[in-house]
Amino acid sequence: MILPYTLRLLCLCFASFFVLNFAACLLIRIASKSALRFAESTAASTAARFLIALRMLPFALATLGVLGLCVPSYFWLEPAATSERVGIVCVVLALLGAATWSVSIMRTAPSLFASMRHNRLCRLSGQESYLPGEPSPVVLVETEAPLLAMSGLFRPRLVISRGVLRALSFEELHAALRHEHAHRTSRDNAKRLLLLLAPDIFPFVRPLGALERTWSKFAEWAADDQAASGDSSRAVSLAAALVHVARMGAAPRLPYLFTSLLARDRDLSARVDRLLQPAPILPAPTDLARKPQAQFRIAAFLFAACLAAILLTPSTLSAVHKVLELLLH
Amino acid sequence: MRVIVIRFLKNRISRGANPSQSLALGSLEFELMEILWSRGESSVRDVVGQLSRPLAYTTVMTTLDRLFKKGLLDRHKSDRAFVYSPLFSRQEWERRRAGNLVAGFLSGPHPSRELLLSCLLEAVGEHDTTLLDDLEKKIRSRRKGILRQGQP
Repeated sequence: MILPYTLRLLCLCFASFFVLNFAACLLIRIASKSALRFAESTAASTAARFLIALRMLPFALATLGVLGLCVPSYFWLEPAATSERVGIVCVVLALLGAATWSVSIMRTAPSLFASMRHNRLCRLSGQESYLPGEPSPVVLVETEAPLLAMSGLFRPRLVISRGVLRALSFEELHAALRHEHAHRTSRDNAKRLLLLLAPDIFPFVRPLGALERTWSKFAEWAADDQAASGDSSRAVSLAAALVHVARMGAAPRLPYLFTSLLARDRDLSARVDRLLQPAPILPAPTDLARKPQAQFRIAAFLFAACLAAILLTPSTLSAVHKVLELLLH
Repeated sequence: MRVIVIRFLKNRISRGANPSQSLALGSLEFELMEILWSRGESSVRDVVGQLSRPLAYTTVMTTLDRLFKKGLLDRHKSDRAFVYSPLFSRQEWERRRAGNLVAGFLSGPHPSRELLLSCLLEAVGEHDTTLLDDLEKKIRSRRKGILRQGQP
């Protein structure tokens, strides 16, 4: 097939994205059992961060590879305004790449719209109120359903039903709100969006589903830990809140991009047992503990900048271009 | 020319008058819409030929004209007769009707809002009461333990 300059670039981008994503997904799939074992042995918040990073790694590597290496080398070394024959393998790989992207977009868009619609309806049908000890307003919905959720991606708002407000004592409500705030601090709704958006290894084949499910469990556990902050009585109040909300009856079906106290909870018993264990639950990181994190981020940024400077040298780009030529023909 | 402009403006005004009302269809209107959704572009004569019961040409013509004024159909002239085509697919029409229904609920009094919410909050499963009893027992005993130890 003979393609012009721009279409060839598009074809190469999709093909190289598919190859890189496929290779990285395969490697992570092979290592996933060990990764899950490692996650089980660490603190919930660390496990959640590790698992989401691992899940997003193929997507990040493939995107970086395409945007950071393939595109610059193509623009720099490919003679412009020429038409060239493209091999059938490259076309098939490009089609597969485009298909995996299309599937992930088709999966993300309805969830995003459902979440936005639900969010808007909650705000329209509910009313903004201030709860005691709660600095930001919450959306109070006049229903008896067990609804306590964080809605929204970039400016999440707490949605709570009158029924939950009535069912929980002050301490229980305080602990439950802390749990939801922990989800807001760790931007779990945005992470859910990234999980939906990350393309699969093949269209409709999700080999890293176990990582996603385990991340979901650890994200809940991490929010529980953050809410309890090492205080046993607060942990017991959160456990009691979970049971009281579960007693209120069937949980509402919420969009995927909502984090709820209980909605997707299949391990209620495990969560309550964890909160009731005699050993103190790990405290949330303090400001002092966050300082090394900031230093680590700066170091990571500097490392990435150095790596980019090394990778974008003429010799690297020329080697990448040779590989692209091989892929193209 | 002036007559055409006035008719065009009248049509535009009548189209934008009340969107929720314009999406509601009578039985004949719905029947005609179904024919147009299945056939696509059709003249009045084509539609008359597809009807399950005998109806006068002028009745069908007037109804199609009303649907055009409601903003559900588009039309153009071909050989001195109008050819009509639906502006939305059936799915799109249903989606818009549902949207209007929700908007109607939300602008309504308090009980209708509750009714809407009860539809939104679809149940996904209940927890086993025995399990919840067990968990509550554990919580009570842990609370007693904390009180006994005087632990915070």
